[in-house]
Amino acid sequence: MTEFEPKIVGFLCNWCAYAGADLAGVSRIQYPPNIRIVRVMCSGRVDPVFILEAFRSGADGVLVAGCHLPSDCHYISGNFKAHRRIMMLKKLLLQFGIEPERLRIEWVSASEGDKFATVIKDMTEEIKKLGPSPLKVQVEGLIYG
Amino acid sequence: MKDKVGAVLVVGGGIAGIQASLDLADSGFKVYLLDESPTIGGTMTQLDKTFPTNDCAMCILAPKLVTAGRHPNIELVMGGEIRSVEGEEGNFKVKLIRRPRRVNEEKCTGCGVCAQKCPVEAIDEFNQGLSERCAIYVKYPQAVPLVFAIDRDKCIGCGTCQEVCKAGAIEYDEEEKEIVLNVGSIVLAPGFEEFDPSLKSEYGYGRYPNVISSIEFERILSASGPYGGMVLRPSDGEVPRRVAFIQCVGSRDAKLGNNYCSFACCMYAIKESIIAKEHNPDLQCTIFFMDMRAFGKEFDAYYSRAEEEYGVRFVRSRVSRVEEVPESQNLIVRHVVEEEPKDEEFDLVVLSVGMRPPKGVEGLAKAFGIKLNKYNFCSTETFSPLETSRPGIYVCGTFAAPKDIPESVAQASGAAAKAASIIATERGKLTVIKELPSEIDVSGEEPRIGAFICHCGINIGGVVNVPEIVEYVKTLPNVVYAEENLYTCSQDTQKRIREKIKEHNLNRVVVASCTPRTHEPLFRETIREAGLNIYLFEMSNIRDQCSWVHMHEHEKATEKAKDLVRSIVAKARLLKPLKKPMINVVPVGLVIGGGLSGMTAALELAKQGFDVHLVEKEKELGGNLRHIHYVLGSEDPQERLSSIVKEVSENEKIHVYLGAEIANIEGYVGNFKTTLNHNGEKKEIDHGIVIVATGAIEYKPTEYLYKEDERVLTQRELEERLAKGEFNAKTVAMIQCVGSRNEERPNCSRICCVQAVKNALKIKELSSETDVYVFYKDVRTYGLNEDYYREAASRGILFIRYDDENKPRVSRENGPLKVLAMEPVLKTWLPIEPDLLVLSAATIPNPDNQRISEMLKVPLTKDGFFLEAHMKLRPIDFATEGVFLCGLAHSPKLIEESISQACGAAARAITILSKKALEVEGAIASVNEDLCSGCRICEALCEYGAIKMEGKDGKLVSTVLEALCKGCGVCGSSCPTGAISMLHFTDDEILAQVRAALREKKHD
Amino acid sequence: MTFEPRIVGFLCNWCSYAGADLAGVSRISYPTNIRIIRLMCSGRVEPVIVLETLAQGADGVLVMGCHIGDCHYISGNLYAERKINVLKKLLARTSLEVGRLRLEWVSASEGGRFAELVKDFVEQIKALGPSPLAGDKPDKNILAGVLAAKAAAEDFRLRLLVGREKTMIDDGNVYGEKVSEEELDKILNEVIDTEFVRNRIYLLVKEKPLSVKELSERLDLDSKTVLRHVVVMRRRGLITVDRVEGTSPLYTALEVGR
Repeated sequence: MTEFEPKIVGFLCNWCAYAGADLAGVSRIQYPPNIRIVRVMCSGRVDPVFILEAFRSGADGVLVAGCHLPSDCHYISGNFKAHRRIMMLKKLLLQFGIEPERLRIEWVSASEGDKFATVIKDMTEEIKKLGPSPLKVQVEGLIYG
Repeated sequence: MKDKVGAVLVVGGGIAGIQASLDLADSGFKVYLLDESPTIGGTMTQLDKTFPTNDCAMCILAPKLVTAGRHPNIELVMGGEIRSVEGEEGNFKVKLIRRPRRVNEEKCTGCGVCAQKCPVEAIDEFNQGLSERCAIYVKYPQAVPLVFAIDRDKCIGCGTCQEVCKAGAIEYDEEEKEIVLNVGSIVLAPGFEEFDPSLKSEYGYGRYPNVISSIEFERILSASGPYGGMVLRPSDGEVPRRVAFIQCVGSRDAKLGNNYCSFACCMYAIKESIIAKEHNPDLQCTIFFMDMRAFGKEFDAYYSRAEEEYGVRFVRSRVSRVEEVPESQNLIVRHVVEEEPKDEEFDLVVLSVGMRPPKGVEGLAKAFGIKLNKYNFCSTETFSPLETSRPGIYVCGTFAAPKDIPESVAQASGAAAKAASIIATERGKLTVIKELPSEIDVSGEEPRIGAFICHCGINIGGVVNVPEIVEYVKTLPNVVYAEENLYTCSQDTQKRIREKIKEHNLNRVVVASCTPRTHEPLFRETIREAGLNIYLFEMSNIRDQCSWVHMHEHEKATEKAKDLVRSIVAKARLLKPLKKPMINVVPVGLVIGGGLSGMTAALELAKQGFDVHLVEKEKELGGNLRHIHYVLGSEDPQERLSSIVKEVSENEKIHVYLGAEIANIEGYVGNFKTTLNHNGEKKEIDHGIVIVATGAIEYKPTEYLYKEDERVLTQRELEERLAKGEFNAKTVAMIQCVGSRNEERPNCSRICCVQAVKNALKIKELSSETDVYVFYKDVRTYGLNEDYYREAASRGILFIRYDDENKPRVSRENGPLKVLAMEPVLKTWLPIEPDLLVLSAATIPNPDNQRISEMLKVPLTKDGFFLEAHMKLRPIDFATEGVFLCGLAHSPKLIEESISQACGAAARAITILSKKALEVEGAIASVNEDLCSGCRICEALCEYGAIKMEGKDGKLVSTVLEALCKGCGVCGSSCPTGAISMLHFTDDEILAQVRAALREKKHD
Repeated sequence: MTFEPRIVGFLCNWCSYAGADLAGVSRISYPTNIRIIRLMCSGRVEPVIVLETLAQGADGVLVMGCHIGDCHYISGNLYAERKINVLKKLLARTSLEVGRLRLEWVSASEGGRFAELVKDFVEQIKALGPSPLAGDKPDKNILAGVLAAKAAAEDFRLRLLVGREKTMIDDGNVYGEKVSEEELDKILNEVIDTEFVRNRIYLLVKEKPLSVKELSERLDLDSKTVLRHVVVMRRRGLITVDRVEGTSPLYTALEVGR
């Protein structure tokens, strides 16, 4: 059997985290190829619905990454809003039977290419340990089973 | 006289030069932005974080760099060196040479393969020599323009880069070019040079590897710096446990001839120690200083936080020597505490180096024909801080005197106003307006997507199987065309994309290549030239976020690239053309406050041809300046005041309302409507922008017998007496920080130290035998004002320090005033019986600020001053578009700083007023009124005041003010009924992207 | 027992190999210590192979080609000369004697000269004694040095410079400037130094994580210089910080990109 390769969806804000991911590239810092990045203008744009839909569609993990607290946010305070929302959503995930560790919020600045890569490495490792998302197993059962 | 020219030359591509260029280019002038180096960005690009908010410097700077780099009215002249400047204000001929870069700017795509193959290693100046770069290089990864350059001194001419460059950009034989520019005015912003700390040989810089400069430490702290953001010491790569910062290295140093204070070092040392402690909480940071000059907005609060929360140790002492312990390469810092020499051991010593005039300043001054002051900074006057000695040439940033980023930015905008006003008649004459075909109507059409997959030389193609991606993309629904390109961004591919759009009738375009952050504007422009709406474009990042980070996993990287492209195609399928709404602009300004700042701003607006309403609540113009009778230097403020008032009153474009009050402000950028109460009548004004210049007031002390004893005065009252010739005293005592830097108002009032020195010197001038005592906490005569502090000390004025535990005690037992002050050296209470006790009272915010901030929906600081959009890079703007800020309303500041900021506010305002209509971003929030429940959550969340609640058909609904919305999407993701959608980032689009990224099989 | 050196000879097909044959045809005897490997041209002599040969415990390596001007492939021997030059520079940085490597020109008609040279080289190696890398217990330190030299010889930058050395001296660089031998030699020395040290660092931290201080002791090099190399290697993704022990970050090798 092939090793479990988690699929992770990353919602990255345009100004800091996405730029940080770009810098990881420019600096050729290698990290596991498990993340699929979706660019949003602000981490505050990430609707809980997006995250739930990602899990429903088979994501094993979801990363939301934005500008550092307190004041790096390009839109002043979008990151605070994202933070509050994710913390609440983590609780909600438990009710769906999804381990809250599958959802992460991280702050990555435009000069932290290294940090971005580390976050992806860590997260990929952690989710590998958790195994495939319980929701994905259910959903795939429904669709293909 | 010769014809005027509507172009400006800006010399220096640091943050000041960039700001001046953007303001000028945005108000209708052609700008040549020249820098000696191959990239713009200046010193700020080397900083890790910025105080007092600890923002990442690159995060806040990069968007400005990109904007300047792509601005149609800004032409970057890199590697330029000025030879001569002929002509006069309005029409200069500037001769310059352009040093060869040896890489063609048009062809280089910045992919970086050349640098990976270059066999030569050279010292990396960007990292202060702490790491290496190649002989072909970019200064830093986010460089603008992102074009490599060959370092001819290091290049051995092996020819490798030319062979590996698939874009054919290398031109070894490029030669120096002579260029002549014809411009109407010139802005000088060449910046500064760091003081070379090896000149202070007693500190051992250059001899001891663990003695480093503050800018080196800045690079060490940076995540993209030499040590990857780990704090290590250069001798052996160990993590230091004890770090010492030594202040005033190359500043406040008479021996070196650098008497001035370098303005920013106290704060950056605090910042560096805070950041270092965040990296490594066990680190012990000690700052050796003379006076802690935390005089800026919110700086003292930052200073206390460093001490109390982070445990940074502050030692008030000048360090005499640093010696190395040979075995450990640790350092012994010798200093004096309470007259006793003390030695302390540290692992690392950071020297807080001061600012010097830029390299080659004499040549620069000669070429431009301008005067320098005794320190070789550009010579300016208090009331004309932006003008050089040659008409038509203006100055900003650290070339005028050492300063911090916000002061540089404000001054840059100010210089832009000055540079524009002499050529205001030429506005719009040299700027380019591109002729574009009308947009093709694609509504109702099935999506026809064209995909262009980039090899990026070998950057993508060397890892990801690009032909496989192309074949794969062709199988995706709605993709009607796909091809691969060596470089999708090259000029010839742009032509190709346009042809393919026509040939295949494409109505959506997807490019899979590098990052949209730098390249989306280019491709949007391309499809627009082919008649497609710019929002019908999407980009997939398969280089920076795929091939470059999975270089050794070719198969997995190819799979990932497929997922990324499939997911962006899924989004592209749903893209809709968006209109960029146009908003008409009423070309009229409103300035609130008729003090020096308000009048200056109004005059600048009027000089550039705009009508201004100037509203002052008092019965006369002048504000605080009415009470200022002297400045340091030779100018007479009262004479200046009357000439400014005369100029304002006589200017037909300025409409002054005295004794008037703002009753109401409505509207938004371009279209404000304000109601005034003036002479018992209501008056309505339509205007496009607002400048807030409400000033500040002097604190009326409750301490030290003020009001109880007529011998106790404030500095302002003393100044009045001195001016009226009513001064008569044998002994004068001054107490600093009355009402500032205390529990209630933790921050410094910035101007009182300078004011006290000024008045003390005046006393000595009028009555040389009078004894003057100044009781202070820190003497904060920052910048070039330090000279006057020195002069005061040499004239026998006694400066005696006190601290919060031992404040001076004032009493009047049997008639005479008695001041008891702790003498810090002798540790005894020193009794003085002054004839006059002068209190340096705080500058406190105008009590009207609260009301005005509510009307304008802009924030105030905890202290009650107005809070700008960003403390570093947007010191004059509010987050709300079209509202600007200057003078004491922002925070206490000196006359020259108020004038610079006021001119700057005018320049910022003119970027709006000079346009007939404002084009607004299309990717913004949009409300479905049927779904809106009127809950007002969105209104509360929006930082920009872009949501307004309106009654419609009997119910309250949310409305987006298009001009104000920035498109972050916070409202949309919080709307409980889903009534708000974010155009171009709609829920459907993002969800489609998510689903497609995860699953190949379509099930919905 | 007397020491009988094991010598590997790399001989070009057209001159030296023919010369060796002629020695045979002419029944000129010479010591039995040489094992000949035929190459088409001395220019084929690959520094990596020579270093591997030495690492395997050969007591000496003798490279032979056509006399200057005689090369069957016009200038292959000139390139061989450059490569041996670099090899000697690399060897000089290890503790293995440079004298274990020798380059000579032998024509097809010089059977006698061939035999003389072999004799001479065998004497030379006998005087040096057995290679510290021969036998069951090779000297670890020296082996590490030779392996680092080998890795350095694989380095792109170094190979590129060696490859262009001749053109740049003879025809000038891309700016049309003739580069002097001394100048190029200086550059080459710098690159060799750098690559050699970096490869030693890499091999050391591949065994176990080490700090800059430990590296500096092992390499007998000041720690400031070691740190500079570590900085570059970290940036290039060759090594990374494994952990921080006390005040010392320990570095470890990454497997990628080599």
